[in-house]
Amino acid sequence: MDGRSTEDVECSSCGALVGVWDRYCESCGTDLAPPVDSAGTPGSLTECPVCSADPEAPPGGISADGYCEVCGHKMPSDRDHVPVNLGLLAGLSDRGQRHARNEDAMALATSRSREKPPVAIAVVCDGVSTSPRPDEASLAAARAAVRVLLTGARMDEDPEETSREAVRAAFTALGGVAGPDGAPACTYASAVVDADSATVCWLGDSRVYWLAAAPDADQPAVPEDATTRPVGQAPQWPVSKCLTKDDSLAAELVATGLLTEEEAMASPQAHVITQWLGADFPDYHPHVRRIPLSGPGAILVCSDGLWNYRPEAGDLAALALPGGLKSPLDAVTELVKIANDMGGRDNITAVLVPFPPSTP
Amino acid sequence: MSQPGFTVDVDHNQYLPEGGRDVSAIATVISEGTPAAAAGADSGGSAEIIIVDCSGSMDVPHSKIAQARAATVAAIDVVRDGAHFAVIAGTSFARPVYPPAGTMAVASPQTRAEARQAVNGLRAGGGTAIGKWLQLASQVFRTSPATLRHAILLTDGRNQHETPEELATVVSACDGFFTCDCRGVGTDWEVSELRKISSTLLGTVDIIPDPAGLAADFEAMTRNAMSKQVADVALRVWTPQQAEVRFVKQVSPTVEDLSARRVTTSAQVGDYPTGAWGPGESRDYHVGIRVQPGFVGQEMLAARISLVVDSQVLGQGLVRANWTDDEALSTRINSRVAHYTGQAELASAIQAGLEAKKQGDEETATAKLGRAVALAKESGNEDTAKLLAKVVDVIDEATGTVRLKKKVDDADQMALDTRSTKTVRVRKEHV
Repeated sequence: MDGRSTEDVECSSCGALVGVWDRYCESCGTDLAPPVDSAGTPGSLTECPVCSADPEAPPGGISADGYCEVCGHKMPSDRDHVPVNLGLLAGLSDRGQRHARNEDAMALATSRSREKPPVAIAVVCDGVSTSPRPDEASLAAARAAVRVLLTGARMDEDPEETSREAVRAAFTALGGVAGPDGAPACTYASAVVDADSATVCWLGDSRVYWLAAAPDADQPAVPEDATTRPVGQAPQWPVSKCLTKDDSLAAELVATGLLTEEEAMASPQAHVITQWLGADFPDYHPHVRRIPLSGPGAILVCSDGLWNYRPEAGDLAALALPGGLKSPLDAVTELVKIANDMGGRDNITAVLVPFPPSTP
Repeated sequence: MSQPGFTVDVDHNQYLPEGGRDVSAIATVISEGTPAAAAGADSGGSAEIIIVDCSGSMDVPHSKIAQARAATVAAIDVVRDGAHFAVIAGTSFARPVYPPAGTMAVASPQTRAEARQAVNGLRAGGGTAIGKWLQLASQVFRTSPATLRHAILLTDGRNQHETPEELATVVSACDGFFTCDCRGVGTDWEVSELRKISSTLLGTVDIIPDPAGLAADFEAMTRNAMSKQVADVALRVWTPQQAEVRFVKQVSPTVEDLSARRVTTSAQVGDYPTGAWGPGESRDYHVGIRVQPGFVGQEMLAARISLVVDSQVLGQGLVRANWTDDEALSTRINSRVAHYTGQAELASAIQAGLEAKKQGDEETATAKLGRAVALAKESGNEDTAKLLAKVVDVIDEATGTVRLKKKVDDADQMALDTRSTKTVRVRKEHV
């Protein structure tokens, strides 16, 4: 991922020399390019930021379950703000301004081999807040799915079939976290991006966008509005657009022509989803699409915490590109910041995959 | 002995509006294991003392002392082999009946036969000084290494031969040392007097109007005491600094306000006594906490509720508070919190109504007992509704319109009083 040209690198686990294209370390068997998710690392805080800000307050510890022993405040979770940068793609999952915890999760992976161009994989899940332990649901689903997608990419399986299988794995994982308090549930959106296409799969209202870059990277990104194109001239590149169609009441109302998109999003049912992943809903039907792409541009996978503020693909493209083509982490950081600045009412997760995925 | 665990299930609306401070939660505590685990011989951990009123009035009618003897024998019969037991006779003084030396016997076919013989020799004659009885029970318990100490106290009259202060001093000295279920036979005893004893000693109080009912009740109480597995369990409540514990009440199976029983172990931690627990036993507690308000989006731990034995934590539940600007969330009423709030009000309405009736204040009595009728109806507490209907004529159950009955049986009125704290349970809301 740093494009080094030497043939051998050190295994991160045992230090043995491994080939840059090796998947597993020959010495210790460690996966050399494992998926990375937004679980964060536990136990990083040792001092309560609320109490330590008050010079009068006595020093207090942090309990094992994450509360200050003195003032009782919940310590920021390790999931509150998790950036992940795998080079080929980068993501940021953030708690936002209004929610007590981050119930979004993401999982990222890359598959590289000597023989064929690299594949970038992104999964974003948004916990359904009316279900119990939605934060566990989203993480369990994203983790289970990314493993299947990564294996499929490594084995060169059909990405559409792999995507369906990944959703099944996520559903099974959610069965595992269901308990006497009910069935934790989440939305699901995945993208498998290879050299000439993106395979997207979703349930619920997390989205995947295609953001088209201007042919000249110094120019602003191309807006979705096709009227800016000279009449009669075929597009030189596909325009930005949303590749998914929400499983939501709002989307259904718009589809039937009962409401305009604006009216629908303003209605109280805007966020009622009609499909989700959870042990209580075995009759789910994931949508799978493989979309041929010609670059340059980027695939954006995000939760509604982002698109609620910037639903238009063209707007998102203008914000994320062209900078995101070279530095996807900077671009998602900017997108999340904009959502937070506009209120951050929900958890915000954004993953950007510059297209075509290529090692610099 | 390895300690059994407890599960603590907290049910409440954790969402508070901006500036909201009051958190109210129901904690359902269940001790692990199944009741069957308590079957078989006792390892010597249980100690049972039966205190029998032998005052002169127990002879009027004569069946009273005869039934008391039979009930004591019934209790002795179900003391498990290996458990420690003793019988005390109470008058103006207290006298060990069995073992006569004022010690405790280890239950076996032989000691039970000896005890039966001693009990059958009990005769009525003398006064009533309950403090002295409890004092002797305390001394007798001290002769045994058993830690699950339980007493049954039977009386038929008022505590006439010592001052209320003398009794109170002894009761508070026994607090935490043994638990005690109190029973009044007939109608010449004072409900509030026995309730003070049973409340402090974490037991129950009830009326046995007809002496013939004593034996079955004594047997049941002894069986229940024999089923206990762990003694001196405390409900520990941790709260954040600057938070205030407004109340801690047991609300099921009976209402018992424990707020004043707090033993502060550190600035943020208080222990409330819950007595002894048997395997599989379940009780509900209502905890009210006032916290410093947080900002929207913040989560605070309002209380950590633990079950503690010998400073060892055997189970824990968390009471969380989240501040939200979503009114649909913050205004939601938790049905179990509402239910038990109603049940506690029901108990106090009955007690206040009966007290007013006793003082001749018919207006207050009618209002309070009417409110009780409405609350009993609302919460589906049918047993209490039936008891109320023996004291008042119900005109409209829903609005609580009642008329005081002209003639009320003393036993019915006392049964309503003693059983006013019995609650019914509701299922946890499924969200």
